[in-house]
Amino acid sequence: MAAAQKLYPRGTVKRIVKAHSNRSVSKNADILIFLDYMLFMQELMREASIQSRKSGEKNISANTVRKVTEKTLRKFQG
Amino acid sequence: MSTSTPNARGRRSPFGTATPSGETTLTGLQRLPIHTRYPLTPSRLVTATTPGTQRSASRYTPRPRGVGAPATPHVIRARQQRAANTPGRDRRRSGRVQRETTFDILRNLGKALAPVSQPIRSSPQEKPEPIEEPIDEFEQLDNEPEIERPRLSLPIQESEEEGDEVSPEMNPPRMSLAFAEEDMDMTYRSVEYPRDASVRDRDRLSMMSRATGRISGDFDETRLESDDADETGIVGEDDEAEDTMMSGGDFDRGGETEDLGRFHFDLNFPSPAAAPLEYPADEDMNDMEGFELSTAEQPQAPSDDDDDDVGGDFGFGLEFPPAASPSESPGIVGGGLRDEAIPAQRKQKKISRHGIPVPNLPAGVVKKLATRFARSGAGSRAKINKATLAAIEQASSWYFEQASQDLAAYSKHAGRKTIDESDVTTLLRRQRHINKTTTVFSLAQKHLPKELQQDMRLSMPP
Repeated sequence: MAAAQKLYPRGTVKRIVKAHSNRSVSKNADILIFLDYMLFMQELMREASIQSRKSGEKNISANTVRKVTEKTLRKFQG
Repeated sequence: MSTSTPNARGRRSPFGTATPSGETTLTGLQRLPIHTRYPLTPSRLVTATTPGTQRSASRYTPRPRGVGAPATPHVIRARQQRAANTPGRDRRRSGRVQRETTFDILRNLGKALAPVSQPIRSSPQEKPEPIEEPIDEFEQLDNEPEIERPRLSLPIQESEEEGDEVSPEMNPPRMSLAFAEEDMDMTYRSVEYPRDASVRDRDRLSMMSRATGRISGDFDETRLESDDADETGIVGEDDEAEDTMMSGGDFDRGGETEDLGRFHFDLNFPSPAAAPLEYPADEDMNDMEGFELSTAEQPQAPSDDDDDDVGGDFGFGLEFPPAASPSESPGIVGGGLRDEAIPAQRKQKKISRHGIPVPNLPAGVVKKLATRFARSGAGSRAKINKATLAAIEQASSWYFEQASQDLAAYSKHAGRKTIDESDVTTLLRRQRHINKTTTVFSLAQKHLPKELQQDMRLSMPP
């Protein structure tokens, strides 16, 4: 897996969420948020790869990602 | 068996029949007296003699023990007690015995009813004729609903559409698409769409408007798709921020509906082919239309560029203006909304709706995740170029915006000032990532490295 020495910058994630929500984030909640983000990325890339495969592209193109983004975001609406 | 029959005929017939069974004396006690004491009758004899009734080698196996036939109930009782002392054998035997008793009883019954059973056999012989007819009817019935089913539940059509991949973005198909896919989550979610549609659309609109503000740099790529040049983007960025924003918004909206545009284009492609001679005239006409439309709505530099590009390709000349005009109106609306979000337009330092600058997730992290999941999806091809990465980053920033707004709502509802672990758990649950079978911890175990898992566990009550 991606068990590099650092998976993600915790401070940054915290700041992002804090900025968007105007609320402070408790000490370890950012881990879960990032977990959710990983799930989102997984879903996004899955959808994108499916989409690109359907359209016969070899690589995932930016347009494919853009097409799939809204669908995936809607799936991740709480 | 032959030995048993004379016994059965004799006075002590019950025990006599029981004797060959040896250890099955228990059954003999339980069953045989009832059966046999009445029937010293020929029917009983028949049952006794027939090998089927006394089926089971078990009756023979105990022979060595049962050689001395237990003549009296006392002896039988003693045998039972002894058997009880050796539970293993008893268990084994009792199991067999019980099985056999039921079988035997049924079998005896069957034998007793044997004469009656013959007419029963004959009845099925009569039946086959009627059976054949029902079979045909059933087949017909089966055929009919099977034909109708696909019509009722759209998934098959949907799958066809997937195969065609013509209009992937239409909303109603998405529901059935979710059904077509295996995930239950998706179906639930998609079923729930209509309920929140109004609220969500509102949110989405605002998000899109802000988002378009943010993408403004990205629309170059969108336009590349439609053979439009990058000039607009460059010009816009260089000239005036406001106008660029407008045009950017327009093209992003166009990017949303771009597929529709292409769709039309594909459909109407035959039409220019049908009239190839008039083709130049058509082109001019279309150019003129394009000019009229766009100039009417937007007498600005970017629109001119647009028309030039349109003129270059007659296919788009045919279909692009109608596709673009509806997309322009929301663009203008977005422009109206964008006045609020204007501070958010700078690319490096985005500012949230609360006026707090939002940092970007480092591109390296995003790319790492993207490659990882792309690879897991599809073999070795894990190339992600710059444009794709930009799109993914955009998506993830939207995601964070959406997620943190949800989280804020949850924590506010709980009367807290901080976003707690429980809020995120709620979010995960509402996203159907957590359910009866999956817990946060199992998810974390799947995706997170150990240190983070540890931190998470520490902070969360089990």
